Amino acid sequence: MVNISPVVKAEGLIKKFNETVALDSVDLEINPGSIIGLLGPNGCGKSTLMRHMIGLYLPDKGSCTTYGCDAGKLTQKELSRIGYVHQEGELLGWMTVDQHIRYVGAFHSKWNTELENKYVKDSNLNRRSKVGTLSPGQRQKLSILLAIGHEPDFIILDEPASALDPVARARFLDLLMEIIQQEQKTILVSSHILSDVEKIIDHVIIMKDGKVVRNRSFDDLRDSYMRVKVTSLKDSLPEKLPFNGVLSCRQYNGQAVLILENPEVEKIKNQAESINSRIDFHPLPLEEIYTLAMEPGA
Amino acid sequence: MILEINHHSGVPIYRQIKDQVREQIMTGRLREGEQLVSVRELASQLKVTPVTVSKAYSAMEAEGLLERRRGVGLFIASIQSDKKDRTKEEILETHLNKAVTTAIQLGLSQKKTEKMLKDLFLKFRKQGGEK
Repeated sequence: MVNISPVVKAEGLIKKFNETVALDSVDLEINPGSIIGLLGPNGCGKSTLMRHMIGLYLPDKGSCTTYGCDAGKLTQKELSRIGYVHQEGELLGWMTVDQHIRYVGAFHSKWNTELENKYVKDSNLNRRSKVGTLSPGQRQKLSILLAIGHEPDFIILDEPASALDPVARARFLDLLMEIIQQEQKTILVSSHILSDVEKIIDHVIIMKDGKVVRNRSFDDLRDSYMRVKVTSLKDSLPEKLPFNGVLSCRQYNGQAVLILENPEVEKIKNQAESINSRIDFHPLPLEEIYTLAMEPGA
Repeated sequence: MILEINHHSGVPIYRQIKDQVREQIMTGRLREGEQLVSVRELASQLKVTPVTVSKAYSAMEAEGLLERRRGVGLFIASIQSDKKDRTKEEILETHLNKAVTTAIQLGLSQKKTEKMLKDLFLKFRKQGGEK
């Protein structure tokens, strides 16, 4: 049987810092087997939400449970199933890379040394270097290893690849794809590098001002927007085109480019004849979908 | 089975998988009764999550392109020839639609367009060694 109980469940989650509302009635579920992209502008609440999942923050109102356990009551049992990469990558600068790995490994009941050796080699980490002398990219690589060495079921990555160069980022994405192929693994990743995220995620959560504004499978999200190019086969197009869900429309000399929300593709194809036009459909990349979700009133 | 995924095209991945498999079935590159690789195998080949491949396989099963044999896996279904012909025509119509509307937009006559099409057939027949 497939276990479908959610990894994370937030209900009416509210968190305030003084007068600032960081999380504003967040409801969501994260299901196992997915790589979920948590997207949104700086300060929208992504990191705050992630921190509730490991009990670093507690809700002011509502609840947030991880593996069925409340944020405030997480025990070794749940925490050992979680791996977490901080945005800041807080590390102990006076240790060597090797000492740091041993130190963190000692906290866990299991540690995959095979994975460790392969990772250290692939990412050119020098075990004898002092952690304090590492470049931001090297620090980030070390943070990632420290978060995955105990083979957690749920990996939370807060801007994990921001300091990595393109080759290291590609390797990192491959590593995540390898991990997700194993049963019951779940990865939550926040990032501003949408072209990276686009390659790996199958679910998207978009936040804005402490609220979740989109939460659906990436494929469904892609299906919900379309750029439609209408070209008249004669000279002109009717001034008002008969489509629903028009978000924007530009028209010039018998040609129109529209962005439609929830486009009725088959219906539009049939309408092509009635307005004597050719209609081409172009899906939107994540970057554009994200921008649309950020527009005021969207 | 060789599939190519474009992560930045905006086309849902499950649909890219489905469309490519359908086309390969119609062109005969995937044969009736052939077993498909498992969800996990294809997911790791294409570097997508198993959830996505699973969704593509389910969609193809619902369309009758694949059939599930309990405990064994998924196989290319046998498709009735009239349904196969319809699907082939649908695939070609999409391409021809673009060609014909382009011809109209360019102001090329129907006669000229038909001749170009005929010439192309001749050219490929010759290349293929046919009479």
